[in-house]
Amino acid sequence: MSYKNVWSEVPPAVVVDTPSRFGRALGKYTVSISDACNDCLKCVVVCPVHVFAATGGKLTPPRDHLCLGIECSKKSNRCVRNCPEQAIRVAENPSCKALGDRRWTSDLLMSTWHMAETGKLPENDLEYRIGDTNGGFDKLRLLFPKRPPRPSLEKDEIDTSIRLNKRDAGRHQIDIPIPVYGGGMSFGSISQITMLSRIKAFAAWGSFTCTGEGGYPEALFPFDDYIITQVATGLFGVREETIQRVKIIEFKYAQGAKPGLGGHLLGPKVTPAVARIRETVPGSSLFSPFPFHSVYSVEDHKKHVDWIKAINPRGLVSVKVSTPTDVDMVAVGSYYAGAHIIHIDGSYGGTGAAPDVAKKNIAMPLEYAIPKVHNFLVAEGVRNHITLIASGGVRTAYDVIKAIALGADGVVTGTSDLVALECIRCHNCESGRGCARGIATTDLELVGLMDLKWGSQRIINMLSCWRDQLREILYLLGIKSIRELVGRTDVLAHLDYCSDVPDDDIRTVGK
Amino acid sequence: MTYRGAYAERILASRVERMGGTEFSSNIKREDEGGCGVTGFASSIPVAGRHIFEPSVRMHNRGNGKGGGIAAVGLNAELLGVTQETLDSHYLLNLALLNPRSLETVKQDLVMPFFDVAKEEILDHIPDYRDLEGLEVKPPDIWRAFIRVKPQVLTRFKEDNGLQGMPDRWAEDEFVSRNSTMLNKRFYSSLGEKQAFVMSHGRNMMILKIVGYAENVVRYYKLEEFTAHVWVAHQRYPTRGRVWHPGGAHPFVGLNEALVHNGDFANYSATCDYLKQRGLHPQFMTDTEVSVLLFDLWNRVYGYPLEVIIEALAPTGELDFDLLPSDKQELYDIVQSTHIHASPDGPWFFIIARNIPEQNTYQLLGITDTSMLRPQVFSLYDGEAQVGLICSEKQAIDATLRSLAAEDPRFGTVADKYWNARGGSSSDGGAFMFNLTPDGDGGRSLACYDKFGREVVVEPRQPLDVSIQVKRPDGYKQTIEPIVVKALNDKDPKALFDLVKEQAAEWDYNTLRFVLGAVAAKARSDRQYLDTVIGGFTLLLDRRIPLGGKKRSALLQILADELNGVLRSIPSITEAIDIAHYSRVSSETRKNLRPPIAIETTLVIDAADFDPEGDECDAVMMSDAFRLGWKKFLVFDLRGQRFEGCGFGAFTDGVRIDLYGSSGDYTASGIDGMDLHIHGNAQDQIGQIMKRGTLVIHGDVGQCFMYGAKGGSTFVLGNAAGRPLINAAGRPRVVINGTALDFLAESFMAGDPLNGGGFVVLNALTMNEDGAIEFLERPYPGSNLFSLASGGALYVRDPGRALVEEQLNGGRFADLSVEDWDLIHPYLLENERHFGIKVEDLLTVNGERRTPQDVYRKVEAVALTVLTLIPDTDDAVWSSADAAQAG
Repeated sequence: MSYKNVWSEVPPAVVVDTPSRFGRALGKYTVSISDACNDCLKCVVVCPVHVFAATGGKLTPPRDHLCLGIECSKKSNRCVRNCPEQAIRVAENPSCKALGDRRWTSDLLMSTWHMAETGKLPENDLEYRIGDTNGGFDKLRLLFPKRPPRPSLEKDEIDTSIRLNKRDAGRHQIDIPIPVYGGGMSFGSISQITMLSRIKAFAAWGSFTCTGEGGYPEALFPFDDYIITQVATGLFGVREETIQRVKIIEFKYAQGAKPGLGGHLLGPKVTPAVARIRETVPGSSLFSPFPFHSVYSVEDHKKHVDWIKAINPRGLVSVKVSTPTDVDMVAVGSYYAGAHIIHIDGSYGGTGAAPDVAKKNIAMPLEYAIPKVHNFLVAEGVRNHITLIASGGVRTAYDVIKAIALGADGVVTGTSDLVALECIRCHNCESGRGCARGIATTDLELVGLMDLKWGSQRIINMLSCWRDQLREILYLLGIKSIRELVGRTDVLAHLDYCSDVPDDDIRTVGK
Repeated sequence: MTYRGAYAERILASRVERMGGTEFSSNIKREDEGGCGVTGFASSIPVAGRHIFEPSVRMHNRGNGKGGGIAAVGLNAELLGVTQETLDSHYLLNLALLNPRSLETVKQDLVMPFFDVAKEEILDHIPDYRDLEGLEVKPPDIWRAFIRVKPQVLTRFKEDNGLQGMPDRWAEDEFVSRNSTMLNKRFYSSLGEKQAFVMSHGRNMMILKIVGYAENVVRYYKLEEFTAHVWVAHQRYPTRGRVWHPGGAHPFVGLNEALVHNGDFANYSATCDYLKQRGLHPQFMTDTEVSVLLFDLWNRVYGYPLEVIIEALAPTGELDFDLLPSDKQELYDIVQSTHIHASPDGPWFFIIARNIPEQNTYQLLGITDTSMLRPQVFSLYDGEAQVGLICSEKQAIDATLRSLAAEDPRFGTVADKYWNARGGSSSDGGAFMFNLTPDGDGGRSLACYDKFGREVVVEPRQPLDVSIQVKRPDGYKQTIEPIVVKALNDKDPKALFDLVKEQAAEWDYNTLRFVLGAVAAKARSDRQYLDTVIGGFTLLLDRRIPLGGKKRSALLQILADELNGVLRSIPSITEAIDIAHYSRVSSETRKNLRPPIAIETTLVIDAADFDPEGDECDAVMMSDAFRLGWKKFLVFDLRGQRFEGCGFGAFTDGVRIDLYGSSGDYTASGIDGMDLHIHGNAQDQIGQIMKRGTLVIHGDVGQCFMYGAKGGSTFVLGNAAGRPLINAAGRPRVVINGTALDFLAESFMAGDPLNGGGFVVLNALTMNEDGAIEFLERPYPGSNLFSLASGGALYVRDPGRALVEEQLNGGRFADLSVEDWDLIHPYLLENERHFGIKVEDLLTVNGERRTPQDVYRKVEAVALTVLTLIPDTDDAVWSSADAAQAG
């Protein structure tokens, strides 16, 4: 295959089947076929999800990640019972026990892989909505009415777009068709291919991706209109030119995964290419300071925003902060300083590079921070003039809905995009050459594990599936536009305070 | 008698007993504000309230119009309608009536039973607050009264509180303080609907504050003509709540002091607990109030000397502590360990205006946090009148001086000295105060001291009086005019400059003014001389020349006036018939901006009336003009306008910008290729993320200079304040001829200087009024130099080897190699071209020429293991591969 000359094109937002790049994909179940198999190919006929296939009359290795499970296989009309030689064995995949963590369970990883491969929800019993943390979004459920309140709604016409500039007639008017854009991951922390995969996928959906603080590699130039450039405390790779290229500029004051700490990129990841973009010394660890040295107060912050606005007179300004207890004050201060977007980054996110001590101990849980900020902005009378974006642990379409119902306008993702690229959450991100999947690395050899078309298509598929889920959920709630969902906490139930909460699986609700 | 805290324990015991009710858990900061604009000045002659007006307007962008206030100390008895004796002896109570009907109850319950009232009135104000632009909330009515505690009440008070034997005045102070606390508690802090509160209650001082910009205090209460010796103003930026009360605005009162604050405490709660343990209960929920309570406690109750108070607020650490004499170390050690619970933590900057009745002194005091995280500039003008100023930004100082000088020739428009302070410093004075004491002649004189009591002086020189008519000096036609004419005809600005340089010392002010005036007149009347005159005047602004007994500030004032006159005579961009090399645009004509026509080369921007930021600011217009084809810009009469040179984008080689006046923050940030010259001092955040080009600063530069810069060549004549070059990467190459206060080149990542990377040369010199070079004994006063740097180098002129290892946190000293000298030598030569500082002089130590290796020391980065590889099996494999590759 050759991808020449197409690398700078924005692909269409259409689902294309994009299987795993590692031969047999990991699935919840394993399907093994013993030597007894006589290639009768009955299994190919009976399997409803095409686990089995044949070439030249011979059975090919089963695509067992699609398997619907042991229950299914034992039914009279399915594979195990129909195999004349009893050659088929379906079992739980023992890898599941080792894979993932409570936030990203093996089910969640695999269901996201499934979405990234097929653009559809998994048909088996994989949990695709929540993880297993017993907290955060995992404790929230959607409350659907018994019947869809507005059955006449056309699902295709349900609006999932959000507005990014609510205040400033003189600057870019930007609506994005999905309430999601890609969060900052710098060149250096991830490979250029990973970076471009995200950018192209979000661009396909008419949305944006943030560069992170590692500068603006030339390969990104064709996508200027879909990029948010970040001005972070280290100011690495930030130049007037990069600020002027884009439509949205993001100030990163803090990161929810490590509030109180600046970004960091350890020595091994500072390859010559990374050092060139950041204009630093190869091999020498880069630590961004925890504050902006030029900003110690809200009037400094206003000055800072004014500066960026003077450089890019049409650009929008987003202010990314973590969630300290006075995040509401910070939000309203940012509004008065002239920001268009206030982006609150909760503590559940972060790749493996954020230190545990910071990840687990600082900042307010996102599901508390969102309503706090939303309600405060409403009380201040400015909610309609600023876009509130939430991030930090938004893993699924359900998380998107929950964040918006809590009061955000939209969300930013990070880890889920990498999971779509088959990240296995091994937490070796900081070591640079430890990324087994060639995602969070700039090592030339590891980078070659992935190609751009595959990468962008995987994320396009995932986003497509998310959009379908959002529409389905809104339909079931009888809401025509996702903008009407903002702050609708009445569609949520918290398991700590509600009992007998019905299942909210859209595959079964109302059916 | 000086109070030394003899009654502290008894005062506190009775306070805790009577005002107790300690709730340690409820220290909630209700009023949040990040930062603000603060300004203050002390003048030897009383000046009218309208002079605080201009600087307040200049700092609008540091407030949001939701809180402003002023304080005045050293008032005019006549204007207040009392005798001087009453003014000095009585407490001036300013009671804010949020509900005017509350006055009766307040008086009945908390004033009349305890106080004799010498005079009372409701403060006059303009009839309708809505007439003032930007004022949306009606300011409170103010009940002003001159009060003394009734003798029998005071005696009872002393008996009831175990304060027997305490001198009456001290007890009276305490009574007034407590009474206001009770008043505020009953009529303000305990209520949902606020009724009234005490704005101030000190002697010969007052505070007024509103929900609005500070200058509207002056307008609303008609203080334009009201005179005082010391004024402070504060623009607030509150960010919470839709209903604001003037109670939350600054200044806050202690007893005889008013404090304004810019910053934020991280340990607000702990500080509140400390106060509550001493019977002091914050009522307005801001860290500013807490600050003044601390000051009042330590000053009036504990009787600490000012130096101790400053140490308790801004502790001295690191090298600064090591440099203190041992007795001071012992004292400071005790102060620090005793006050660690209450020492404000975080970025903060206080300006305190106070009356010290027992010393008959009015004082203006500025203190910054140990690491000087807030912007601040101090300055001193010493002429016929003396004035000391402390502001957030230099343009506020210049605006004050301009306002003062405009109507009183005893003031100049340029101060004699501008400087920054670092709270925890021992070597550069730390905090500074301006004291106004009786001069024995019925007036007052001003003196400036640092926290150790060392006086800050400017060389006594003859002040300029602009009110004197200028006459043609004798012999002008014969001796001076021919030189001027020749220089103009030769188009030789250097010859003009040399004329003044060689002769100015002999001239009197009249001759100086006449000559410069005559030169300016030539340029106004005949355009062909314009280049030469601007060039000559610019050299005079930039370079220091021998002036005999005259003041450099006076020369700068004359030059600025003449230059502004010349530049304003340039045809406006709207005058299409009058095309020349220069075209002038002002905020009024900005909408007529067009591409350069015919021979036009330079756009002259009259910055005076431009907004300091936003879509209408001159910086945005300038980048628009660049896109229209203009390449050269001359911006004059700047008044703090920000972002000059920003927004031009990549590859601006060939662009030249010259800035005159008070340039603002973020100038030259992000420039890529252009040539930008600041003729005078520069502000904060200059050259942030600068990429390429040349930046020349003919003066000092403020905080965070070249933060995150990637490259470019920069030359600074004077000092850099805190955190210069922090986080700079790439290849910035910088010569600083003065020094930096602290944190120079922290996290510097500028590669290998000998291989295309960046460096900083620190020449550590200062110049006197006449331009003679004096080298600093200690080239770098801070405790943090090159901390955590991973690349680049510093070259410090340090022949005395005064830099010590302790100042380096991660760097190391290295010998200056021949390659190093070859690298920096061309930059020193260019430095010589910009500032006239000869390389030869730099290499001369005590009159003896030395080798570069003897004079300069190199500080280079050490590869710290914590900053490089984290050992790990996998990494070990790769790092050996790396090593092989690198090898």
